[in-house]
Order: sequence, then C-alpha cells, then structure tokens
Amino acid sequence: MLNTQRMTASPLAIRVAFLVMTALFGVLLFAGPALGADGSSPKAGLVQAVLVGLGYYLSNSPWLAGNGGFFGLYRPLVAGFFVGIIFGDVQKGAEIGAAINLLYIGFISAGGSIPADPSVAGWVGTALAMAGGLDAASAITLGTAVGLLGTIIFFSRMSVDAAFAHRADAAADKGDIGGVARANWVLPQIFLFIISFFPATLAVYLGAGVVSDGITWLGTNAPWVLRGFQIAGGLLPAIGIALNMRFIFRGSGIPFYFIGYVFAMLIGGKFFAGVTAPSIGTIVVTTAIVGAALAWIFVVLSGNRSNDSREA
Amino acid sequence: MTLPETGTPKKLERSDVQRAFWLWTFFSHANYNYERLQGTAFAQAMTPIIRKLYKDPDEIKAALKRHLVFFNTEPNVGGVIHGAVIAMEEQRANGADIDDDAINSVKSGLMGPMAGIGDSITQGTITPILLSIGIGLAAAGNPLGSVLYFVLEVGIMLSLAYFMWMQGYDRGREGVTTLLRSGLLDRVLTGASVLGNMVMGALTFQFVNIYLTLSWHIDVGGGQSKLFDVQQDLLNSIMPGLLPLGFTLLTWWLLARRRVSPIWLLVVYIVIAMVAAFPIFGNHGSPCDSILNPFFQPAAGCPPPPPA
Repeated sequence: MLNTQRMTASPLAIRVAFLVMTALFGVLLFAGPALGADGSSPKAGLVQAVLVGLGYYLSNSPWLAGNGGFFGLYRPLVAGFFVGIIFGDVQKGAEIGAAINLLYIGFISAGGSIPADPSVAGWVGTALAMAGGLDAASAITLGTAVGLLGTIIFFSRMSVDAAFAHRADAAADKGDIGGVARANWVLPQIFLFIISFFPATLAVYLGAGVVSDGITWLGTNAPWVLRGFQIAGGLLPAIGIALNMRFIFRGSGIPFYFIGYVFAMLIGGKFFAGVTAPSIGTIVVTTAIVGAALAWIFVVLSGNRSNDSREA
Repeated sequence: MTLPETGTPKKLERSDVQRAFWLWTFFSHANYNYERLQGTAFAQAMTPIIRKLYKDPDEIKAALKRHLVFFNTEPNVGGVIHGAVIAMEEQRANGADIDDDAINSVKSGLMGPMAGIGDSITQGTITPILLSIGIGLAAAGNPLGSVLYFVLEVGIMLSLAYFMWMQGYDRGREGVTTLLRSGLLDRVLTGASVLGNMVMGALTFQFVNIYLTLSWHIDVGGGQSKLFDVQQDLLNSIMPGLLPLGFTLLTWWLLARRRVSPIWLLVVYIVIAMVAAFPIFGNHGSPCDSILNPFFQPAAGCPPPPPA
C-alpha cells in the first residue's frame, strides 16, 4: 500500500525494514519443511498459534485496549495468563509469564527506544516454554532470547511509520481533518499487524516443535545446559532491576534501596532461624507500604527544611 | 476570557475535551516513529477540537499542521500538556492573542519535563510495584496475580491520565506553569524515588539469586575431613544475601556508569550461567537446593553429591 511518493519519504528506512522482514519470513518458511522432515509433530495447533499472534499484535497496538495495551497486554505477566488460557493451563502460563516478567520488571521505554521486547518474550516465549515443558526459571532464558529478536520488529515499525507521518502532512495540506486522523492509525496498524502477527504466529506454530525437541535432546545429552538456564534465572533479573535503577537510584533515593533490601531480608526470614518466609507478594507489598510511609515522612521533612531556608 | 469582536464565543463542550482524551488514550502510539514519535497521534487527538473551533479552511489547515510536528512525552502524566494546549486553542479561536509560537513552546517546553516526571512515576514506580505484587502471586501458582495487576495498573493509569488531562484543560497554560514551578512535582518525584528504591531493594532480595558452590575438604586430622563451603561458612557469616546485592549494584554500575548495552549483559550473564552449570564447577550437589528460592526449585532431580 505504499505508493512511490511515500516510498521516497524515507527510502532507507523502508528498504531496511522490508529486507529484515523478508529475511525473517524466509527463515521461517524454510525452517518449516526442514522441521517437518524429521518427523516432529507440531506441539502447538494453528488456532493456538494464531491466537498468540493476535495477542502479540494487540499488545503492541493500543487502539483496541487503550492503557491496557502497553501497560497491560505488553507485560509477560499478563501475556502468560492469556497464553495459559490458550494452551489450557492458566496456572502454568501465569507462572511462566511471571518468571519471564522478572527480567522486564524494570523495563522502561523512554524516548522511543526499548532495550528488549517484553511483549514477544511474554507471548511467544510463554507459548514455546509451555510447548517444550520448561519450568518457570528455565523459561526466563528462552524468553530473553525471543525478546531480543522482538526488538527487530520494534525498530522496523519505528522506521517505516515515519512514511505515514508524511501522509498525514498531505492530508493537512488539503485541510482534511479526518484524513489526518486516519493517517495516524489505519495504514500504520495494518503494517503493524503484518510485521507482528505473522512472525509471532509462525514462530509459535513452527517453533514449538523445535523447542520441545531441543529441550528433550538437551535433557538427555547435556542436562547441564538446562541447569544453566535455571542459574541464569537467578542472574538475569538483576539486569531488569538495574535498568530501572538507572532512573531512580540517585541522589537522596540511594539509601532507601539498601533499607528496602535489608527490610525484605528481615521479613523474608533470612536472619532468624525458624522464621517462615512469607510469600513473595507479601514481602513486596509489606516493603511497599513501609516505603510509602517513609516516602511521606521524607518528603514532609525535606519540604519543611527547604521552606525554612527560603524564609531565612 | 477574551471575547471575539464579532459573534458568540466558541466554547468547547466537556465532551469534546473527553473525546480528545479517548482518542489520545487509544491512538497515542498507533503511529510511533523515529521522525515525529507521537506527532501524528497528537494531531489525531486534536481533531475533535479543531473540528469544533475552526470553520475556515485555512485555519483548519494551519491548526492541523501546527499539531503534526515532533512530539513525545509520557502518555498518561503528559496529558496535562494536551489539556493546556486545548485550552489555548479555545482562547485562540475566540480571538485571544496566542500565536503558533506560544502553542509550540508549551508543547516542546513541557514534553521533556513531563516525560521525565511521568516515566519516573508510571513506568519507574507504579508499574514495577504492581508487577512485583502480581508476579509474587502468579509465581506462587495463583493466576489471579495477572488479573490483579491488570485491573490495578490499567485503573490507576487511566484515572491518572484523565485527571492530568482535565487539570491541564481547567488550569490552562498559566496554571500548568504555576504547578510546575510550585515544586509539588519535585516532591512527588522525591517520594516516588524513595518508594521505588525500597521496592527495588525488596525485588533484588526476592529475585536475584547467586550461590557459590565453591567448597573443598579440609583435613582436620585423625583421618577426618571437614567440608568448607565458601557460601555457607564464609559469605553467609558476613551477611546472607551479600552476593545478590553486590551483583545487582555491579550491574547497575555497568549499565548506568559504564554505559554497557543491556543486550551485551544479557549475553554475558547467560554465558556465565552456562559456565557455572558446566559439570567441572557445579557438581557439589548444592546448586539444586540452594541457589534458588522455593520458586526456582528445579522440577527435575539433581545429580547426587560427590562422595566426601
């Protein structure tokens, strides 16, 4: 649907994006028959794969979900829940989604860049982990790998969508109010659907068997790789947390990070033998309540001080 | 309000402002791109306003072009800009002396600060707190954690966005500027930083797991030997959880101070984990029961510990 006038708008971006997409499709199309040849049965049905693809598209596009897109469906915790429904085991899906979400707990998209794509890690990663029978901790590494591939989709979209801005310019020149509105969403959304729905659907439909066979093979031939997945499950959340700390771990906030850590250790039963550790959610909620109280005190005290100095 | 010299004042209905709000909520990132970022989405959100305020084709063209320029902010908290700009457009349509520069300067002047404040509050604080609550529940086997997160997050974001949007419209440009200068947002940001850091500390404790499996047998005489475990006998006696804390701070230092790409860190950490799991380092039997908290217990059995 791109005419030549708009093709010239940002030719390099479009060429790059189409190359990347063609390559992605090519790999998936060639991978399909090769996988069928070794007799592995697909572990995900076409309908399931299509539903996962749809979910991934919706998570990237707020037009149906509003705030529920980026702040909801985009998160592996939510994606895992829906993938769990699609694959018939909500509990397992939510568990895997929660584990994958650990890496992205501090995910911040700022200034039009993302360090990884949590959404594809949540939708496709959970689906593949469920098909492969992975446990939650090991699924983190799989989700991470899938999440890195997802950034390609994001960058393609960010590059190509510039062309549609010029379509909006053309509509504005004609004073076409509706045209400007449509330029913002009709074609961009069709394009987004093409570059997000099809790769995700194909990845689940064709990839589930590969991942499942791969995990089985590793389990018998190199079980230490799967142990490595589990160890990585304890290391990778540090990246997610540190990415968030990049924005908030500064100035007067720094001491509170350590207070939070030690407080969580205290109520988490690490210091006193025989103390039963409460559930993960309880520890975080309790810390958050104490944190809110401390924040209130801190703001009131520092606010008064600055007022005093201003009066003096 | 400045009235036009002729005719009745052009007044926006509350519903027009709300319509613009919903357009923004649903389409703010529909055409996110490197050239304008949310530029076209801003224009789409303004369409009901333009349609209502301007009838002259030239004015319509000018207004559309005015709002198609580069724009990027945090979509919820940043709605205060849209609200203020709608108020300015209304005054302008009624003949007030507000030129393109005035509107552009409000947009380009506020979008940066509101993005900083907004991202710190929404993505930086509210989202990780709610995520950790939801993850805590879901990881313990309760899928309602996902539902709870979704409902709370979307509810809070939507209310915050609507509140900011309407504040911007009701207070107008002067009101927003006053609000920014009052220091209220600084205090909100300080409080959010305290709370956010506390929660990050708790998350570090909860989810970062490192356990040294380095150990060796010490001859204690009389043919007896004792197992010296670096983690149990050395690190834990200093402070349990020292390694995860240090490791997270190291990661932060690499990301924030050394500007290492997070993608590199991902690759390196996975390689470290694989090396740590490779049999020559990992066959002490303890990794399976000790590295990870109950949530991370491996489903499969572990190899038996080597004979002492």
